Amino acid sequence: MTPRPAGRLMGMPNAYFAHGVASGDPRPTSVVLWTRVTPTAASKPGSGAGPEITVTWQVSTNSSFTRIVSSGKASTGPARDHTVKVDAGGLQPATTYYYRFAYGQVRSAVGRTRTAPAAASSPANLRFGVVSCSNLQAGWFSSYRHLADRDDLHAILHLGDYIYEYGPGEYGYGQGDIDIRTHEPPHEILELADYRQRHAQYKRDADLQRLHAKYAFIVTWDDHESANDAYEDGAENHTAGAEGSWSARRAASHRAYDEWMPVRMGGTTALGDGTQLYRRLTFGDLVEVSMLDLRTYRDKQLAAQVDPAQADRARSITGRAQMDFLMESLTRQNSQWKLVGNPVMIAPVTFAGVPRDLVKPVNDTVGLLPPEGVPYNVDQWDGYTDDRREVFEHLRDNGVTDSLFITGDIHSGWACDLPADKATYPGTRDSVGVEFVATSVTSGNLKDITGTPRRTTSIAVEEILKTNNPHIKYLNFDDHGFSVLDITPKRAQMDWYIIGDRAVRTTGATWTTSWATTAGSQTVRQVDGPVA
Amino acid sequence: MRDRSDARPMSLPGTDRRTVLKVAGASGAALVFSTAAGEPARAATARRRAYVIVVDGCRPGEIDAMPNLKALRDAGTWYPAARSLPVMETIPNHVMMMTGCRPARNGVPANSIYDRAAATTRNCDRPSDILVATILEQLNASGRTTGTVLSKQYLYSVFGDRATHRWEPFPVLPVTEHAPDAATMGAAIAMVEEFDPDMVFVNLGDVDRVGHGDLSGTTLKLARSAALASTNTQVGRFVDMLKSSGKWSSSMVVVLADHSMDWSLPQQTISLTSVLGADPALAGRFQIAQNGGADLVYWTGAASARSAALASMRSLALATPGVFQAHVVTETPSLRLGANAGDLLVFCKAGWRFSDPGPQSNPIPGNHGHPATEPIPFFIGGGSPQVRRGVARSARAHTMDVAPTLGAYFGIPAPRTGWEGSSRL
Repeated sequence: MTPRPAGRLMGMPNAYFAHGVASGDPRPTSVVLWTRVTPTAASKPGSGAGPEITVTWQVSTNSSFTRIVSSGKASTGPARDHTVKVDAGGLQPATTYYYRFAYGQVRSAVGRTRTAPAAASSPANLRFGVVSCSNLQAGWFSSYRHLADRDDLHAILHLGDYIYEYGPGEYGYGQGDIDIRTHEPPHEILELADYRQRHAQYKRDADLQRLHAKYAFIVTWDDHESANDAYEDGAENHTAGAEGSWSARRAASHRAYDEWMPVRMGGTTALGDGTQLYRRLTFGDLVEVSMLDLRTYRDKQLAAQVDPAQADRARSITGRAQMDFLMESLTRQNSQWKLVGNPVMIAPVTFAGVPRDLVKPVNDTVGLLPPEGVPYNVDQWDGYTDDRREVFEHLRDNGVTDSLFITGDIHSGWACDLPADKATYPGTRDSVGVEFVATSVTSGNLKDITGTPRRTTSIAVEEILKTNNPHIKYLNFDDHGFSVLDITPKRAQMDWYIIGDRAVRTTGATWTTSWATTAGSQTVRQVDGPVA
Repeated sequence: MRDRSDARPMSLPGTDRRTVLKVAGASGAALVFSTAAGEPARAATARRRAYVIVVDGCRPGEIDAMPNLKALRDAGTWYPAARSLPVMETIPNHVMMMTGCRPARNGVPANSIYDRAAATTRNCDRPSDILVATILEQLNASGRTTGTVLSKQYLYSVFGDRATHRWEPFPVLPVTEHAPDAATMGAAIAMVEEFDPDMVFVNLGDVDRVGHGDLSGTTLKLARSAALASTNTQVGRFVDMLKSSGKWSSSMVVVLADHSMDWSLPQQTISLTSVLGADPALAGRFQIAQNGGADLVYWTGAASARSAALASMRSLALATPGVFQAHVVTETPSLRLGANAGDLLVFCKAGWRFSDPGPQSNPIPGNHGHPATEPIPFFIGGGSPQVRRGVARSARAHTMDVAPTLGAYFGIPAPRTGWEGSSRL
């Protein structure tokens, strides 16, 4: 076939590049570029059909591509689901670039990206969009659209649950689990072809395409990229035998992720050379980002209500190698702010005191609470307290300042101190760092599950939690949206924006609150308004 | 009001060829300054004044509770990632500030050292302990004048008569052995008003001294808060004086701490003396200089046994509850501590303290010297055009950066022995 020229506008797909373009993992002189080609009508995602082809790519300093600074060719085919991922080098630090792919004479949409500042530089600020938990069946990705409308960001942090594994009718909108949109394939994804199709469906979302085309993504996965409440040897939403082996299912999910996401897994853009997702990205002397993988190496979550094994030193959420990586990240002297991309909450949270009638919906929102209200969420760091003890002691013993845990997972907004000792915190207020938790793009939260209007039922639960956990300064169990994280040498500030009804494709977004941590303080404080 | 009628030469230790001036401070109490003979005539060029104010033992986050200091920080150049340097104690970090180099070069690694020649443990506070030129001497040699207003006796001692003008801490409180901030700042203000030195080095000891007595940081938290409020007031007095006297526009004010502070509970003490002494191969063949959050262990046995003994001591130390790290000094060049620091440097974990030789030897809850106490406030304020306004920098400033910063401000090059720090102007 002879491809014909097609659309070239930013974010506008065409038939050959129907899944858009994306960039990710910016370094000072290189950035990952991604696309997916559909060379023939039969070459559908997950089909394994279609020819081996070669794609060219270009990086330019302007959107008219009159000054091309980097270019190359890449081969792809059915073995990698016709995805293309290259590490475009030879770039200048802290520079905005435009990129595009071509298959024959057909060009992709134009993407925009930005390299990281040089390691020895001192950026005045860095500003990230922060998102997590984007369940396509539960609503429209308006949060992505509103972030794409901004021109002031350097990159997007996606903290996991980028896709969901469920089939139609599962985990949708509201109490009735209504599918605002229906997942493809129309069943729970188990095989490699399934995961590929699911990724492809998400990548066809116009809002997500537009955001990918505008900003580099820095991603990690949580559980739903494979299956709910995943751990090293299984998952809550995996039935060994009937659904095949966990190792095969997880390998399929990892393979599809490596194919479809603009990320260096195993440290490279190549496939098949490892799936290590935890990694560092440095942004001058201001910020170093350490993205964690808290699913691949963790021990199984505890099932008992109050199990002494919660603090078992042999149980881990990180695995030893990743814990060593995290320890080093927190004490490296490269950068002032030690930003940890943290898929699940690390601040201790006791749920004791939550009324019995609300335990079930709270559990459905945040995780694995047994019916009678166990005082912690065993899927978070609370279920692996010896790992958290090790991290917090490391921070305290080394006098680490300005560690910043940025978290997703629990479909709600939080701002917390990280108490050196939760028992004595009410008196000492000693904190070893702070945690900001972004709410979900669409995934259900407390008001969705109780079926009550926002800011009604949830308020009582929020106040109980803040009272029983005085290091938690802000909590919003009701709203969906996104955050903007702005970091300067003086402070790090997170702005929470909330969207209207996620069932409404054009719903708006409004600022709701902002919290900051002053450099050196290890505590959070509310601020008057969002960054300009 | 000044009482010049009492000005007369006095013979004080280390004040030969110096004159003594008694000045009435704002409180009415007499302040005594000793001044080097032959103070140089002031150059006619535009003045540059610099003041280094050390809020001893202050934690970076505490600046937010001190409005006058916060205003200085926010209006000037702030280094939020600043750190103290090993050993995170008062004397060595003040010496690093004034020498611009680390203990391996300047000779002062800790508050307490074991003096091998004298075969005794002592404070490292003799003027002769500093082996290199300080910025005080460099400024004096350039025709400028300097002053020291240091609240602690051992700081007064270690800098000797290096400054042109020198205040001896008074009154010194009996338990804390320091002069209260009100008295110290009164002396600093009087010194500036009376002598107007080009550079004055001030240590305010209240925050540290209250911190030392603050059980676990909670029981007496109110005392710490009161000390922060008081110190804030004193710094405010100093800034007000600069502004009201017209000196502000020609002044740079460097504010920092020498180290931070950490609190331990009574049961969380470490006595390495008994741990090491229980080993027959080590017993009687080592000395320990206890520095709160750090123990400096000196091998005094046969040189031929030193290597094996160090390995053994390190192993025993690391196996002791509460010990965080143990470094063989000569094998850890990044420490830059030098021979005076002994053979093995042992740090405790946060929430612990060393107590040697016995468990009751160090009853002080608040301690420093260990890595948990590295973070410090560090900012440069003032009305001088050389001070950048309203900026913060992520670079990791250190106490040893003070001398190079003063050097850059006054146009003074590094001494022959060099600086290891960097200007933070």
